[in-house]
Amino acid sequence: MPQSLTLRPALARLPLQRSGLRIEALPEGTVLHLLAPVGSGPAGLTAELGASGLSLRPVSPGQWFAVGDAVLSNTARAALAARLKPAAEVVDQSHGRVRIALSGPMATRVLAKGTAADLSLTAFPIHHATTTLIGHIAAHLTRIAEDRFELIVLRGFAESQWEDLDRMSAEFG
Amino acid sequence: MASLLPCPHCGPRPREEFTVKGAAQARPAPDASPDVWFDYVYLRDNPRGAYAEYWHHTSGCRRWLIVTRDTATHDVFDSRDAAEGREVRA
Repeated sequence: MPQSLTLRPALARLPLQRSGLRIEALPEGTVLHLLAPVGSGPAGLTAELGASGLSLRPVSPGQWFAVGDAVLSNTARAALAARLKPAAEVVDQSHGRVRIALSGPMATRVLAKGTAADLSLTAFPIHHATTTLIGHIAAHLTRIAEDRFELIVLRGFAESQWEDLDRMSAEFG
Repeated sequence: MASLLPCPHCGPRPREEFTVKGAAQARPAPDASPDVWFDYVYLRDNPRGAYAEYWHHTSGCRRWLIVTRDTATHDVFDSRDAAEGREVRA
């Protein structure tokens, strides 16, 4: 008997609302890992990704995540990969990485408990992104707005990260 | 107090984000004598002072770095990408 696959979100949780902070699991849409030769810029990628509704997050030299809230169909993803092929290789990570958003004036204070990355607006401006340890978990951190961050963690670590963030933000109950 | 290591891509980061591999030294020619290869593979200086090592920014940009630091004081003199100055193959 054929069995249908059921999507079980890694973080089937309601948003955590603290005073001055909101932590929410973002939709498990699309996360693509783009890999290009070191030193190449994202110039050839942004237009294609924008057309697919994805936004670009720098990971490390020559590497980016392209993320979006909507699930990309297999054919759409293959077509996108083919169009990006001259500039970058695409590895689908939609199933492997989970996004968490932290927003509110206390977001930097909570994150600063876990990471040594400088989160001041001058050192970490809007759209800046980096990979860093938050507690014991390696996470990719992007500043979306002055008071809003996006975390990308491996799916298997998402629940632990969530529980850590829960505890780290407890003081703002 | 965390010891901070400057990553050329990410800025200062605690050493918990890194993995150290060991001395960064020039690889001998493929046809070098077995003695030279034995030294390269097994023998290390253990200086008190400046030392160049390979470090991997495991929980960050995942790039291999060559960090020159003082083994006694942990002053870091230089930190650069290990691929710098060499052709990087895609």
